[in-house]
Amino acid sequence: MNPRETDRGAWWLVAQRDFWYRLRDKGFMVSTGITMTVLTGVILISANSGGGTPTFDLGLLGSGSGRLGPLVMQAADAQGAKISTTPVADRAAAAAGLEDGSLDAVLLDGERLLTRDGAPAELEGAVQTAVVADGIRATLEANDVPADQIAQILNPAPVPVETLEPQDPNRETNSTVAFITVVVLYGQLFGYGFWVATGVIEEKASRVVEILLSTIHARQLLAGKILGIGTLGLLQLVGIAAYSVALASLTGALDLPSHALGTAALAIGWFVLGFAFYASLFAVAGAIVSRMEELQNAIVPLNLVILVSFFVSIGATSDPGSTLSRIASIVPFSAALCMPVRISLGSATLLEIVASLIVTIGSTALLIPLAGRVYSGAVLRTGARVKLREAWRSAS
Amino acid sequence: MLELTGLSRRFGDVLALDGVTFSVPHGEIVGFVGPNGAGKTTTMRIALGVLEADAGEVRWNGRPLDAEARRRFGYMPEERGLYPKIKVLEQLVYLARLHGLSRPDASRRAAETIEVLGVAERANDRVETLSLGNQQRVQLAAALVHRPDVLILDEPFSGLDPVGVDALTGVLHAESEERGVPVVFSSHQLELVERLCDRVVLIDHGKIVAAGTIEELRSSRERRRLRVQVAGAPHEWYDAIPGVRLVEATPNDGIVVELDDEVDEQRVLDLARSAGDVTHFSRERASLAELFREAVRT
Repeated sequence: MNPRETDRGAWWLVAQRDFWYRLRDKGFMVSTGITMTVLTGVILISANSGGGTPTFDLGLLGSGSGRLGPLVMQAADAQGAKISTTPVADRAAAAAGLEDGSLDAVLLDGERLLTRDGAPAELEGAVQTAVVADGIRATLEANDVPADQIAQILNPAPVPVETLEPQDPNRETNSTVAFITVVVLYGQLFGYGFWVATGVIEEKASRVVEILLSTIHARQLLAGKILGIGTLGLLQLVGIAAYSVALASLTGALDLPSHALGTAALAIGWFVLGFAFYASLFAVAGAIVSRMEELQNAIVPLNLVILVSFFVSIGATSDPGSTLSRIASIVPFSAALCMPVRISLGSATLLEIVASLIVTIGSTALLIPLAGRVYSGAVLRTGARVKLREAWRSAS
Repeated sequence: MLELTGLSRRFGDVLALDGVTFSVPHGEIVGFVGPNGAGKTTTMRIALGVLEADAGEVRWNGRPLDAEARRRFGYMPEERGLYPKIKVLEQLVYLARLHGLSRPDASRRAAETIEVLGVAERANDRVETLSLGNQQRVQLAAALVHRPDVLILDEPFSGLDPVGVDALTGVLHAESEERGVPVVFSSHQLELVERLCDRVVLIDHGKIVAAGTIEELRSSRERRRLRVQVAGAPHEWYDAIPGVRLVEATPNDGIVVELDDEVDEQRVLDLARSAGDVTHFSRERASLAELFREAVRT
């Protein structure tokens, strides 16, 4: 048999086993369930509040209110809100409508605003503007200003807004999408990296690793494990992304589903890059200790690095062009979290993206053989925690 | 034939193996004995490629051992190890496939092996739920599942009850006699090694101190020993011949004496007869345990 075929067979077998073993693991089910639930909640909340135009129902009661109705709607339109008006018969009906939520406020005699517990700012502003406009119209009419001129004064063309930097009209939605992406990506990288570490310890603590290493090389075992667990993480991420984008489009939480799809694709791509990097480090952390209890200590430095990368990347969702964001998107430890944010917010230049890819792929390519060597030097040594230098030297 | 030649291995300042050389021919069972820390496990790990030697070579059928041939070896490590949370059959199939068997072959062989070893009814139980004895059987199944070309077993008898010992003995005989598999195992149970093995290799402080059949080891020992029982003889009757020393005196089985090279056994017999009624006179066959102690002491 061709030895290269054998090699491929061995790590492929390991990858398959680790994939199916984790897929059937309760932890996988639970983590998938929690992630889905949280995302569903976030999307539904943003569908009902942040996304779309705020809409209000205004009741009109008494003389003067009917005349103001169209003006209020006009004023709301200009502010990017939508107000629908309904005539209300009397004070009791107004109170009932406010109590049962069918009305957000009732305009009394065109003068006062009745609410249950305060009016939303958009509604109050629209009514205020309408009252001012009504007063101006009355004055203009009294001074015989022609009707078309009055209409022009009261409905000016919107003031054009100019910005020093080009602005994306969906900036806010995109930031939210980027934020969710960072949180999910962090969860995937850390969660699945941690699983690589626990997988290594399970084999080490149960001593089955010695039997495995009598049939295949340590590097094949490591490669298979990272590949199997990583594939599961990737598929879960694809599932989560597809579910979230679909749900967000259906509920109208997203104005631009295509942009979200693009961001999801970015997250998936950067998960692959980031996972290869972090999983190698997690495997080393798992290999140098002998028991699950010791793992928490061994991964402290790694944990810290990922956490810092996470927070810097969260910062990048609101300020993707800052110096810190730029650096973090190129440094190998944080690139996988920070770069997708900057790309998705349109802040990264092509040069930066290429540099980040080269740094991430290059450092991973260097790290994997180093991690493989430390892993093979440490994985058979039980008892006290293995020093990295010793592991390095005892591997051959 | 499995040949180990000049294997050396150092761990930090400790020279764990120092030029270990021995071979395991087809169809033979070789017992690998030595005190704790002598280098048995290290030697076996090197033979399996789990560890690498600093120097020396492992050859299989005349050629340097490669990864492909090594996959056909069966191994039972001293530190027993299986996946605790995976079902018996499932993990044997996995291990068989790592050893290079196709999926159908692996399934068939795994089922056959647990049948032979008497754990078939636990096929779908997780290993951690099995008794220690049954876990040991599954461990042995893991070494046998791929019909190995070579069997290397580190302390396979430790922790087995007498029934388990008989079962394992039967399996080792079957593998070596029927399939011609070279078998090497380490053990501290020297009577068992004596009973079971064609050849014995003795290691101490990383060096092979003796190797060969038990008879060869006996004949190579430095001095002959006699067990003599003489009724009514005075104490120390043997003192009359120079070069005869007492090794052991027991109330019921007479005495054991050690003879220098130039002493004629017949002279000792004559002297014994003149001292009293000789009820027993025989060459004393050294047990492996005695040979072991002597070899390790020197």
